[in-house]
Amino acid sequence: MTLLQTLKNAVRKRSIHVCYVNTGSCNGCDIEILACLSPRYDIEQYGIYVHNNPREADVILITGAMSAQWIDKLPDLWDKVPEPKAVVTIGNCPISGCAFNRPGALIDPPVSKYIPVTAAVPGCPPRPTEIISAILGVADILFENYETKTEEKP
Amino acid sequence: MSVASYLKEFCRPGWIKKFFAAKTAPLRAPAHFRDFPELTGNECTHCLECRMICPAPGAIDVVQRADGKWEPQIIRGHCFRCGYCVEICPEEVLASGDILAKRHEQNLAFTQEYAVLVNPKLCMGCGNCCTACPVNREIDPDMGAGGTSVSTDVLMRIEKGKNTVLHNDLCKGCKVCEDTCPNGAMHVARRVEAIQTEGP
Repeated sequence: MTLLQTLKNAVRKRSIHVCYVNTGSCNGCDIEILACLSPRYDIEQYGIYVHNNPREADVILITGAMSAQWIDKLPDLWDKVPEPKAVVTIGNCPISGCAFNRPGALIDPPVSKYIPVTAAVPGCPPRPTEIISAILGVADILFENYETKTEEKP
Repeated sequence: MSVASYLKEFCRPGWIKKFFAAKTAPLRAPAHFRDFPELTGNECTHCLECRMICPAPGAIDVVQRADGKWEPQIIRGHCFRCGYCVEICPEEVLASGDILAKRHEQNLAFTQEYAVLVNPKLCMGCGNCCTACPVNREIDPDMGAGGTSVSTDVLMRIEKGKNTVLHNDLCKGCKVCEDTCPNGAMHVARRVEAIQTEGP
């Protein structure tokens, strides 16, 4: 690996742009994400920036149990995200539907049925530390030698 | 300060490290945090108390290992981390955060009771619940297919075309009646109380 590539990797890992999408959650996980922005956890010191615009995002944070209205919209939103991109689902809902997955509920989990999920953070809700470490863990894989990766793609 | 002194400061390794590294150390979960329950190594007696109290759908399973021993399994992505299974387990098979320590400190004991509730508007007296009930079957093996019985010791029986609960205290909370009722007329309510006792 050249020195330039090493520098690129290091810089990109410290510039992760995040967009969060609420697909019908109870707001518990959203509040934990909000806590990540607070001075106690402060995600900007790790180089994670919130841009609630999928066209600017690298990582999409998904909360919620996939309500019926999101079923056609979420794949559209996923197509709008520029490469390199990844999805981190926050909480139990995108994995299993959690408490809402009862007979007759108008939800359709898991989210991984509709878009490829890179990492899932279980918990109801997960701790802010768990969310931060998941995003940082995904970013390490996502941006590592991104140029050579795209050449390998068909 | 001159420009040169600034440049000198920017080249100092200590300064560069401080500038690029995250300022606050990654926070660790405190010791009392109730994380996903973990096994303590005590032997599970397969009483299924943990499964019965769990409020999350499909969060806990009690599975039998290859060597014949039972053990509870927490399914991440379903578990709320409420800690009820840790609190209720009589053998202390599971542990999470400070729950067990608090239980010892306060000498908590759990009592439970069940209430078999029948909605008379929905009940059509088919007797499925009475014949399916495992307690009924033990007391009166000759119970009729319509849920009628000559015995008054049974938990419930069909009287005048409606299900009548005779002995509520016999219920073990298996909810088989709830599952077999075609009309959704049966409901088994479970009340668990934690009582602080005086010493062990």
